[in-house]
Amino acid sequence: MSFARTIAGGGRAAGEIFAATDLGKSFGEDDAAPVEVIRSVSFALARGEIVSLVGPSGCGKTTLLNLICGLLAPSRGRIAWFGRPLAGTPERVGYMLQKDLLLPWRTAVENAELGLQIKRVGRAERRARAMGALERLGLAGFAGFYPSALSGGMRQRVALARTLAPDPEVLLLDEPFSALDFQTKLLIERDTARLVREEQRALLLITHDIEEAVSLSDRVIVLSRRPSRVITEHRIALPGDRTDMIQAREAPDFAHYVRTIWNELELH
Amino acid sequence: MVSASDGAGPAMLARKPAGRARRRWRGRLGVFAAQLALLALLLAAWEAATRGAAVNAFLFGSPGAIASALIAAARDGTLFTDTLVTGLETLAGFVLGNLLGTGIGLALWYSRFVSRVLQPFILALGSIPIVALAPIVIIWFGTGFASKLAMATLSVVVVSLVIAYKGALGVDPDQINLMRSLGADKHQIFRHLVLPASLTDIFAGLKLTVGFALVGAIIGEFMSSDEGLGHAIFKAGSLYVISKVFAELAVTVALALVLSALVHRLERALLPWRHDLQ
Ligand SMILES: Nc1ncnc2c1ncn2[C@@H]1O[C@H](COP(=O)(O)OP(=O)(O)OP(=O)(O)O)[C@@H](O)[C@H]1O
Ligand SMILES: [Mg+2]
Repeated sequence: MSFARTIAGGGRAAGEIFAATDLGKSFGEDDAAPVEVIRSVSFALARGEIVSLVGPSGCGKTTLLNLICGLLAPSRGRIAWFGRPLAGTPERVGYMLQKDLLLPWRTAVENAELGLQIKRVGRAERRARAMGALERLGLAGFAGFYPSALSGGMRQRVALARTLAPDPEVLLLDEPFSALDFQTKLLIERDTARLVREEQRALLLITHDIEEAVSLSDRVIVLSRRPSRVITEHRIALPGDRTDMIQAREAPDFAHYVRTIWNELELH
Repeated sequence: MVSASDGAGPAMLARKPAGRARRRWRGRLGVFAAQLALLALLLAAWEAATRGAAVNAFLFGSPGAIASALIAAARDGTLFTDTLVTGLETLAGFVLGNLLGTGIGLALWYSRFVSRVLQPFILALGSIPIVALAPIVIIWFGTGFASKLAMATLSVVVVSLVIAYKGALGVDPDQINLMRSLGADKHQIFRHLVLPASLTDIFAGLKLTVGFALVGAIIGEFMSSDEGLGHAIFKAGSLYVISKVFAELAVTVALALVLSALVHRLERALLPWRHDLQ
């Protein structure tokens, strides 16, 4: 993944998805006492790459995600998507928050169709693609259920299906797996890793789970407390198949990475 | 794709088993029987009190006299025409007022600027007691159907507007962000998110305003009219025929109950995802 090295260099590296340079965000800038949430954060994401952001609660991870996909305007800094400055919201991005945000008046499959419907994909095709996404997540039998009749973990999987159905190139996921049981979580992590690595997509993952970050990612970026900046960026080098989450946990260096990151979060 | 057996398993679970529905029906029957018994008891006590001269039947009426008044009104056909007239005025005002109010309320969501500009005007309009408008309405719209329609509509429109607007503003901003991240434009956000999300509030508004519309129509009839339940109540009251007043009041209450039951039906039919309603 050497082409991913140019981090926020301004110039466009081959395969670069986006680059954030010296991003800063304060809320309530017009007020007497604005709240500085992000001090200065720079990082980039390349095709085929999985990058995790970890940091203490409230340090601005969700805010950072919203800045990157154009839902919030930064107070400072630059964001480039595919080498061009960001205008509006980027195309072919799958964005998913901690909350499942399912629409209660739509059934599971209708929720999964939402993105395709907005892109004006025909009825039959969008139904087929949404069903495919649900099936992949083990929800085929629940397609006709309203969210109120689904468990928390199932709702989260429907939200993931909604994210995946439009076939995004880039996934921006905010703690997408936190509501899942361990078994399901490892299986969905594996599927997600395959999706990204085998089809040359990219994934930016926000998580509180250090083991998840290390087992899944090529790089783990550790953020400080508010106002946040990058403490360190770890390049995770684990041997073997990087879509096998158990194998990753068995690797000799795994515990070392986890402990190091844990210590950094403790200190800052 | 899903195979037939795949879909059948969990889908079966979602269906209501017949036994539970029957039991619930039986439970409802019990409540209804108790309500009927309570009503009968109250009427019997009232009747006994007026017969025993503990209560003056001329001033307070009596269930027996009320029943005769009802039968008389049913015989000469005024019961039916009065109910129909008031029912139509109410329904028309209810529909028109809610269409206008909900339409404007949701439209205000589109422009924060316009909504901020209009806010004080809406509040001012909302604080005008509708009764006070009745004389002007009669002057403008005459003594027929139009003035009752206007009164019913006015009683509904501001409440409906405020409820729809608050409902639209109450949509989770994260939900809106999600729509934007999927590439939705403002129109799509409205159609797929804001409108359906506001429906719960809008229906709460419908339930509230169906009563307001009835009150508006009856006030209109009080002012000036020659038919309708309001007219019948007003006439009987000024002639001191108290039992007749009560008879017409009972019909009015029945009309109100029927109308709100209809709204409830509509809500259940249109909001199938609300399991608490089903
Ligand atoms: N619209 C806003 N106005 C003012 N302050 C805000 C706003 N949104 C977020 N904040 C503040 O910014 C800080 C960071 O919030 P953010 O949601 O980005 O944290 P986070 O790192 O995602 O936390 P968690 O790990 O708990 O999800 C919080 O202190 C929050 O109160
Ligand atoms: Mg967060």
